[in-house]
Amino acid sequence: MVPVLLDIITTAAILYIVSSGLLLVFGVMKLINFAHGGLMTLGGYAAVIATAMGMNPWIGIPLAAIFGGIVGLGMERVVVRSLYDRPLDAILATWGLSIIIGQVITLVFDRGVHFAEPPIRGVISILGEPYSTYRLILTAVALLLGVGLTMALRGTSLGLSTRAVIMNEDLARGLGINSGLVRSITFTLGSGLAAVAGALITPLSSVDPNMGVAWLISAFMLVLVSGSSLYSLAVASVVLGGAQVIVSNYFGSVLGGMTIAALAAVILRIRPQGFSYE
Amino acid sequence: MTEAVLAVNGLSSGYGQATVIRNLDLKIAHGEIVAVVGKNGMGKSTLLKSIMGYLPKFSGSVSMAQHAISESRPHQIARLGVAYVPQEKALFQDLTVEENIRLALRGSVSWNEAEATIRRCFPFLLKRLQQKAGTLSGGEQKMLLIARSLSVGAKVLLIDEITEGMQPSVITNLVEIIKRERDRSGLGVLLVEQNIPFTRAVSDRYVLLDKGEISGFGNTRDPDTHDKIAAHISL
Amino acid sequence: MSDANVKELGSASIQRPQIAPLTRMVVIAAICLIGVGAAPFFMDAYSVNVLVRSMIYASIALSVDILWGYLGVLTFGQSAFFAAGAYATALVFTYGGFSAGNALAAVLIGIAVAVALAGLVAFLAFWHGASSLYASVITLVLPIIVTQVLFSGGTYTGSSSGLTGFETIPLSSEAWFWAVGVWLVVLTSAAWMYTRSDAGRLLIAIRENEQRCKYLGLNTSNIKAVIFLICAAIGAIAGWMYANYTMVVAPEIAGFTFGTELLIWVALGGRGTLFGPVIGTIIIDYASAQLQGDFPFVWKLVIGIVFVSVIVALPRGILPLVSHAANWLRVRTGKAQPQQYAQLQLHKASRSERNIIAAESSGPALIVSGVEKRYGSLEVLSGIDFEATYGEIVSLVGPNGAGKTTLMTCIADGSKRSGGTISVAGQDIGHRPPEECVGLGVGRKFQMANVFDTLTVGECLQIARARLDPLSKWQKSGVCSLPPSAMHVVRATGLHTELHLPAQVLSHGKKQALELAMVLALEPKVILLDEPTAGLTKAERTLIGTILVELTKAEQLCILLVEHDLDFVREISSRVIVLHQGRIVLNGSVDEVVNSELVKSVYAGSGH
Repeated sequence: MVPVLLDIITTAAILYIVSSGLLLVFGVMKLINFAHGGLMTLGGYAAVIATAMGMNPWIGIPLAAIFGGIVGLGMERVVVRSLYDRPLDAILATWGLSIIIGQVITLVFDRGVHFAEPPIRGVISILGEPYSTYRLILTAVALLLGVGLTMALRGTSLGLSTRAVIMNEDLARGLGINSGLVRSITFTLGSGLAAVAGALITPLSSVDPNMGVAWLISAFMLVLVSGSSLYSLAVASVVLGGAQVIVSNYFGSVLGGMTIAALAAVILRIRPQGFSYE
Repeated sequence: MTEAVLAVNGLSSGYGQATVIRNLDLKIAHGEIVAVVGKNGMGKSTLLKSIMGYLPKFSGSVSMAQHAISESRPHQIARLGVAYVPQEKALFQDLTVEENIRLALRGSVSWNEAEATIRRCFPFLLKRLQQKAGTLSGGEQKMLLIARSLSVGAKVLLIDEITEGMQPSVITNLVEIIKRERDRSGLGVLLVEQNIPFTRAVSDRYVLLDKGEISGFGNTRDPDTHDKIAAHISL
Repeated sequence: MSDANVKELGSASIQRPQIAPLTRMVVIAAICLIGVGAAPFFMDAYSVNVLVRSMIYASIALSVDILWGYLGVLTFGQSAFFAAGAYATALVFTYGGFSAGNALAAVLIGIAVAVALAGLVAFLAFWHGASSLYASVITLVLPIIVTQVLFSGGTYTGSSSGLTGFETIPLSSEAWFWAVGVWLVVLTSAAWMYTRSDAGRLLIAIRENEQRCKYLGLNTSNIKAVIFLICAAIGAIAGWMYANYTMVVAPEIAGFTFGTELLIWVALGGRGTLFGPVIGTIIIDYASAQLQGDFPFVWKLVIGIVFVSVIVALPRGILPLVSHAANWLRVRTGKAQPQQYAQLQLHKASRSERNIIAAESSGPALIVSGVEKRYGSLEVLSGIDFEATYGEIVSLVGPNGAGKTTLMTCIADGSKRSGGTISVAGQDIGHRPPEECVGLGVGRKFQMANVFDTLTVGECLQIARARLDPLSKWQKSGVCSLPPSAMHVVRATGLHTELHLPAQVLSHGKKQALELAMVLALEPKVILLDEPTAGLTKAERTLIGTILVELTKAEQLCILLVEHDLDFVREISSRVIVLHQGRIVLNGSVDEVVNSELVKSVYAGSGH
């Protein structure tokens, strides 16, 4: 029982880390960033680079943030900006960007699987059950991320402007808020978060040019059922992640693999606003 | 007449292909309060939205003092000193009173200065700064809107039918506040109205808007003001 | 009425036999077939091999183009139907051995499974009120589930390595080339004929403005579902060919990545052009096979970059660019011909029997009783009671936010009100969706002119008639039957000389008139007009007003009008209802309302 419970908690935490960047972009820009998976892959390779250069594995994380941020900013400037009023085309174009990222990575490295040195190894005993220390650390990271993002949105002037743009962009513009700049910063931040998530999951998943795709679908589904609220995302991560763990445990990992997508589709059919309370 | 803080020259504008405002000229002088009066659907709100840069201008120009703002975007116009009070959805209901005001403050005005303005005009708001704007009553929300627009140090105020659904006593208070703040800072005010008593009490001049064109104007102190406006906006 | 279908010439466009484009298509198809027949003799075996696969992919890309390019349904999941056909074939041959009967059984099973899956998707994705994003999400979930199901099949489906080594239809590569080539030419020709036909224009109308289609009485959810099922079957057939030809199936063919690759091919070729996606798919897949050996990753990188550039800069793909260039060249070389527009004749339609009976019956046309509308705790309408009879123009006036448009919506869409009853021509509308309310006799004109921008004026009118006169599925019929009222509007506003023009180039006033004609083409009994004169010039207002008064008398229509222009209201209404804060404050003659002190205070502000 304890391992299942821990699995649910840590899976929810990982899903939250993986989805928060996508949620931020969706909330502010009403745009689904299908390059999210590619950016996660990029982050994974940042960790690989850190390992290859013999650096402390933790260095991979800020490195990923820098990579993701720079690439994200470039994508927003060159491609995404012209697609704000074509949301379905934006999905396709960002998917194309994801392909480009994947192919560039393939050219630089190769198609094979790479490994990044995990920042921490070993297990810790929880109520007499050994459990992966790293997964528990990720849970702490997810909590920090949730609290940090919430505080940034509530406590800073940029956060306030960002929330204003989410709630009513026209009104925000009328009060002198440069919503274009807010979008640009949000996309950069969302991309940085995606890459950080990619670096953080390297100890749990192999690093290859397609590592982001599977995560993208889960993150996308979670964001759809969460609307634009970080709080709803936490609820969705626990409910859907929990369902995935339970289904995987009792019905096999194959069925577990489609739990999030199938469940989210059903939830949206019954309640189009998903877990958001509006 | 002193220098115009806001000048609209030959403006035509509308939605998509529909022209709502036709070749309209309007000047607001420093410290002047002008009311645009017309029935629903005659283009009053459209005029304000066009000035504010939300709608494309088909022809004509808008300028503030020496600045041409015809091509500017809403946030740039706001930063040049235009405070716009839309008729609907003008507050962030889920943000607090303080956050609603802070959002509109740019670098030039500090929170302390804004607080001083609020204390002068609507002191009751200071006790409710941490309350969500959506929990204020309808009339209180309107006062918050005016408080916000007065506290940002604007040169021009655009107000869209603020009196709709307001109690007469509140309207009287509002007239005093707007005039007093105008006298203090030389604010130019363009308001769109259907309420005759409010229009007469607050504004210096009025223009009548009919199907996007100016069909009449006058000085509010003229004795025939009430009849002219009433004839224009009633059935 | 026996004098129906009195021929009446509409457009004065160039007299041209309808057969011309059809002939051209037959000629092009014949050339393609000859090309298919000859090609294997001029190509190396490797190219023939690759091109068979490319053409199979092209046939499924064609189905993606119909869904995305025409119907506007962005689908990521066409790969799942491809896999259904392919796996049905592989499983039948693996476990039943090859025989002609099994080959036939395989294709039927494949289609049945694909159609069943598509039915489930359509049920989820196209229900009343589903957003287009939700439809895309469902098509994204489908391949994920199908892939997982294939994995979970274990050794039975070959799990992650798939199935190989089964015996299939014994044909040479050349024979496959001919078979698939002929299938592709036939399929493309059929799709071309369908999409050009009157019924095919309806797909574009749904893409452009689904809401307007519903308010024209068309069950768009059903239409979308049927097209989706057909495209699923096309996908399954492609999968069947693929399994027969390659003798390999693997779970990747069901996946989201392949589903998206189809979208990339369609986007590059040119969505909504049929030929673009077919040619684009063949070129890209063939080039991939040729170049992948030498520059495997660079090639995919180039495709990615081109794809993003096309989405951003050329949303309609590369084929339209090529055809524009060809046109430009023709203009330069002086060979250009004036653009030919299909001719459309307007006919007078007989009024349907039902309508005449209704018009002669004595009861009120519209009864609204106790209607309420609430959004949460906010009450927008309460206790609305009124009646309106045939031959009457009733105006709804009131300040902004009084609930006028909301009331219109409640009458036109039975699912919208929170309480009370509404009956139209003696029938309770219950909770019927808008397309069924149209069947009871409600016609609604929206506030902003709401027509199909990329269709011609004539096509807009044809689609408005689609509920009563079924559209031809294989050709442009060239005729449109309109009832006298709609005909009157079309002629009075001069639209009959502009039947061939795309609706988007019309002036704002003409668009309003077109939408009015479209609503009248439905032969409604109760017409809801939401600010029909907004943004019109004085002359246009007068014209519309005159027409409305004439129609009401001649056709015994019941018109409910929301209007801000009170001069207009005064001129044409027989009765005025004043709404204020969600309630009826006055219901009386024009004079009563104009002279009412109450109304003056409502309009002039409370401090009066």
